[in-house]
Amino acid sequence: MVGALAVLLGAVALSVLVGANPVPPGDVLDALLGRGTDTARFVVWDQRLPRTLAGLVVGGALGVAGALMQAFTRNPLADPGLLGVNAGAAFAVALGITFLRVTTPAGYMWLACLGALVVAVGVHVLGGAADLRASPARLVVTGVAVGAVLAGLTSGLTLTHPDTFDRMRGWAAGSLLERGPQVVLPVLPLVVLGLLVAALTARSLNAVALGPDVAQAQGVDVRRTRVLVLAAVTVLTGGATAIAGPVAFVGLMVPHVVRWTLGTDQRRVLAGSLLGGCVLVVASDVVGRVAVPPGEMPVGVVTAFVGAPVMIALARRRRATAL
Amino acid sequence: MRSAVSTVRSRVAVLAAVTALGLGLSACAADADAGTADPTPSASADASDAPRVVEHARGETEVPAHPQRVVVLEPVQLDTAVALGVEPVGAAVLNEALGVPAYLGDAAADVQTVGTVQEPNVQKIAALQPDLIIGTESRHSALYDQLSDVAPTVFMATQTDPWQDNVRFTATALGDEADAQKLLDAYDARCQEIADEFGTAGQTAQLIRPRDGILTLYGPTSFAGSTLECVGFTTPERDWENSISVDVSPENVLDAKADHVFVTTTDVTDESSVPEAVRANAAAFPQLHLVDQAWWITGVGPLGGQAVLDDIEKILSAAS
Repeated sequence: MVGALAVLLGAVALSVLVGANPVPPGDVLDALLGRGTDTARFVVWDQRLPRTLAGLVVGGALGVAGALMQAFTRNPLADPGLLGVNAGAAFAVALGITFLRVTTPAGYMWLACLGALVVAVGVHVLGGAADLRASPARLVVTGVAVGAVLAGLTSGLTLTHPDTFDRMRGWAAGSLLERGPQVVLPVLPLVVLGLLVAALTARSLNAVALGPDVAQAQGVDVRRTRVLVLAAVTVLTGGATAIAGPVAFVGLMVPHVVRWTLGTDQRRVLAGSLLGGCVLVVASDVVGRVAVPPGEMPVGVVTAFVGAPVMIALARRRRATAL
Repeated sequence: MRSAVSTVRSRVAVLAAVTALGLGLSACAADADAGTADPTPSASADASDAPRVVEHARGETEVPAHPQRVVVLEPVQLDTAVALGVEPVGAAVLNEALGVPAYLGDAAADVQTVGTVQEPNVQKIAALQPDLIIGTESRHSALYDQLSDVAPTVFMATQTDPWQDNVRFTATALGDEADAQKLLDAYDARCQEIADEFGTAGQTAQLIRPRDGILTLYGPTSFAGSTLECVGFTTPERDWENSISVDVSPENVLDAKADHVFVTTTDVTDESSVPEAVRANAAAFPQLHLVDQAWWITGVGPLGGQAVLDDIEKILSAAS
């Protein structure tokens, strides 16, 4: 865990030092202290620090949401997107771009929050989330079905409206550009709340991992745990998607790597996934900044690039995916 | 890798277009010769009403001398047709929700939309019973046979060729090369007037299109970029990578510095459409102008060119 923290600090340092503009490290330090050239101050304070903050929030939220989802469904392939929250956010953003002419990341953020919330509530009602005897699979299947319908509607909308397609392409790739405080701060309380709720459920999730009957026998309130977990996943995924758009693979991949290195105690898995998600998104963003000069590659594209090989490597390790 | 391939492709396409244009002209000459050899006395009148053969990206096609029901599938073709006084019956548009671009005015009021530029709707085109369809090989290649069944169809090579060449091609298809040349000459003359009036020589200008936080800088070979050069501005030098535009990270926003910086938007009154990176460096961009992307980016053609020149003239008058 200390190692993970050190890696995170390293990623944050890189994120402040490295970018498309080759500002010398000395100038970056000067800029951090409020001195130095205008260019260095702009690059550090207006570009790198805001997107580092956004990357930390998005990565941490997705990492924890993925860990919760996998523990709760007892399925190592579960992903926070399975509840349809991403698809709901995307559909709301597409509607807003097409019919309300929303054009700024701050506008997308509010739309995505609203879409994620509406779809999350809908999926939970349709999937019978409150029914203790129902298997979590029912909820997941409902989420996948609703998500598929919404994804279809979204692509219908984008294919018939090239302007929307143009703007959605940027949002749907998942990017930390222009995600300044006005985009991150309104979502931050939501994400913090989600993280606190996740911490509350950690101990009961260890019991739930053995099956609801065993958990109940151990005196765990399974219904309460389920409601809390679902609320946390919704808020964390919705918040992260509202900030950056859908960032692929983080929620799926990070908990695997964490279980592989830190073991299967949910308290460790959740804490590790928080740090791991932060590291993955911040480091991927750094890679995206220097991958295709003079432009940049969106962070969501980089996480997919990193994610696919890691998933294949994990799949080839026999015990890596055990919960 | 991919861009290298497309560069080669576009070069081949340019070559093909130039050759096609040359062959087209000689084909017209041959037709005229055949007309004079005709023994009937009213030969010259017949020749002007006789179907013409147009050389294009997909071969030779016989088209009516004076097409009445034209369908166009590319913005530059729509702009050119309207500029030449031929209102198409149908046009593929970039955005079906917005329809035919508003800058074309009443002269294009009755144009029906027939799907998008990327995906024209063949059924809608057929329903309009056109007598000539003009499209673009690089975009509509797969539709050629279907469209040919509906009406004589001619394709220009690619929308990335110099726009004046595409204007001339469209005019050739419509049988009105002379007037198209007049429009292009008028555009050049007006450029010169603006250059003389405002003394733009020696000043730099840069066009920026903000996209998802990335800044797309348009170079001298783009439509609006070439118009800025046409009025005497110089585009700040950089590696354009053989492309009309280059994407730049907002960290390097100062690369876009110029005496005049133009930023495209859908709403020129919306100050928030200026990218954050530009706003944060306001001191470096003293002459910043929001311009409408409807003609600066997508209004390729003689009318769009005049609309861009209108904007430039207005902006420079206000600045001086």
